[in-house]
Amino acid sequence: MDIILNQYYLQIVIFVLVNAILGVSIYMTLSTGQLSLGNAGFMSIGAYTCAILTVKAGFPVYLAIPIGGAAASFISLIIGYPALRLTGIYLAIATLGFGEVVRVIILNLKITNGALGISGIPTLGTKISKMLSSFGLSRFGGLTAQQTSNLLVLVVLIFILAFLVFFCTRLNRSRVGRAFASIKADESAAEAMGINTTYYKLLAFALGAFIAGMAGGLSAHLTFFIGPKDFAYHRTVEILSFAVLGGSDLIIGPIVGALLLTMLPELLRSASEYRLMIYGALMVIMMAFRPQGLISKETVRFWKRKLGRRINQ
Amino acid sequence: MKKGLTKWLTGMMIGTLLLTTAGCGGGSAPAANSESEGAGAAKIGVVAYLSGGGAAYGQSQKEGLDLAKDEINALGKVKIDLVYEDSRGNNTEAINAVNKLINKDNVVALIGPTLSGEMFASGPIANQSEVPIMGTSTTAEGITDIGEFVFRNALPESSAVPQAVKMAVQKYNLKKVAMMYSSNNDWAVSGYKTMAQALKDNGVEVLATETFADKDTDFSAQLTKISSLKPDAIMVSSLYQEAALVLKKAREIGITVPFVGTNGFNSPELIKIAGQAADDAIVASPWYPGKENEKITKFVTDYKAKYNKIPDQFAAQSYDALYIYASALEKAGSSTDRAKLRDSLATIKDFQGVTGKFAFDEKRNPLMDATVLIVKDGQFTELK
Repeated sequence: MDIILNQYYLQIVIFVLVNAILGVSIYMTLSTGQLSLGNAGFMSIGAYTCAILTVKAGFPVYLAIPIGGAAASFISLIIGYPALRLTGIYLAIATLGFGEVVRVIILNLKITNGALGISGIPTLGTKISKMLSSFGLSRFGGLTAQQTSNLLVLVVLIFILAFLVFFCTRLNRSRVGRAFASIKADESAAEAMGINTTYYKLLAFALGAFIAGMAGGLSAHLTFFIGPKDFAYHRTVEILSFAVLGGSDLIIGPIVGALLLTMLPELLRSASEYRLMIYGALMVIMMAFRPQGLISKETVRFWKRKLGRRINQ
Repeated sequence: MKKGLTKWLTGMMIGTLLLTTAGCGGGSAPAANSESEGAGAAKIGVVAYLSGGGAAYGQSQKEGLDLAKDEINALGKVKIDLVYEDSRGNNTEAINAVNKLINKDNVVALIGPTLSGEMFASGPIANQSEVPIMGTSTTAEGITDIGEFVFRNALPESSAVPQAVKMAVQKYNLKKVAMMYSSNNDWAVSGYKTMAQALKDNGVEVLATETFADKDTDFSAQLTKISSLKPDAIMVSSLYQEAALVLKKAREIGITVPFVGTNGFNSPELIKIAGQAADDAIVASPWYPGKENEKITKFVTDYKAKYNKIPDQFAAQSYDALYIYASALEKAGSSTDRAKLRDSLATIKDFQGVTGKFAFDEKRNPLMDATVLIVKDGQFTELK
């Protein structure tokens, strides 16, 4: 029990969950076959909107986070309308450029405090525990205040992620989801079948941006500090690699990717200076042998068959 | 046949990987198992930028700390154990490293992280866990506002820069100056703001303020404009790479006035890159290896003997930081009580380190004098 409640492990699990939410955001746009590299940009819009609202305007967190998501989503519509006329590598470059533009704008705005970033952001944990204590629930038997707040954050994040997974699986079986899948399979054919591709692509783009914006808001309230450096190009690559490593066929893919890529650097801490070399080597090996990502539809089918057989025996 | 080859390749890759893992496991074992220093040793965690773009800073810090640790343990008044964690200059990594050191290694106190941003992200964690944390290179405004447990022995820009400006104004009778700074670097912007304030306080007129970005290489537009205004001096706030190139370009187009810089100027690399052009660059530094002082000479010779180079500011400040912890540990009389250590740390004063006489003010910032340096003939010398 002590191990489970150790701050260090709790914190890692919290980062895993935030990254998993980011994984879902890139899965969203990938599910229409669009490679968007603007997620770090949307994340930073969400993070900054949310942080400014809570720090400077005194908004409650539970309101600020969805507002952050909505802001990101709104910007994505403006950007997406012209950008989504591009496909493939061109869209990737355009959205990548967008991410950089957002970063540079943030760097030069007064309200975002430029390169100095925003510090002293209240943590989600303390906010939630405060809220709970106002309902008369303050301490849970034998836990320190920090453990309680971290556990509460964990519960909230698990809830959000579970909701997103539920939402996505339901979406996949809906008319919208089918449209997404058909655009991914063949855009021209989908258009010929009477699917309004621009509308659906924009929808997926905006949904992805909303989720990324929320993840940004969440992470701002978990790291106490945000600066423009946190949302640079490498962040986009990190988010993309969740989907690349885990596989982007199924929603579970990017989540597993986020889990592995967040845990790995921590698990390798004992290797000290060789840590990143091993991390890189593992990535190369995985890509060499599973270019489609760790989890694809076949993987799920394979394990279902295997496990099903065992149960039948 | 193809399948066989793939299998063979996989085997080889995994084999190599295992070998590297095993190899580095063995390599890092002595560092991790340094608990053999004795049961009473105080465990201090260090979070440093040990890999990536700023690894040179973290490496210097590590060297300074290692040297100090050996000396302190040899003296025997207190025993200290250091546990290093890499932060890669990344905020979430710094948070994880601090969490690991506090909750897994149970350290009594922390040193680091290297960057101010990392401190803003991870300092609150240490503060909440009530573990003293001391930044040795975190110079940004507001670091110690994080909380009661956050200390620093890094001379904040707000204290060093005004000393340099004041000295330059007096020496060169400056009336009107031009300013330049890197606008996408948090630390350079903060340095610029302090500099502008210091100029205002000294009644110096600012003719123009030009900005550039980190990694820029061409400064001719900004410098041509400044040159036409004929300032008495130019103030620059940036890292040494850009600062050196600014100096070079300025001398090239015939600007001969002195330059006053923020801490970025305070690097031997500045002279290495700018060469002759670096002459008349002025900077305030808490660290000057050439100072006539027994303690400093000893530190410089020992450091040189061990690492075969002159210690830089990062090494010197980390070296002092560990000594400050050591004397606080001695006063606290416990190697595990974090609260006691914090309280005794807060009362440190009249501490003599290699970076001069040192005390914490009521906000846990350092109270110390900087030495104002000027480059003459490719050497930093004291501006007197």
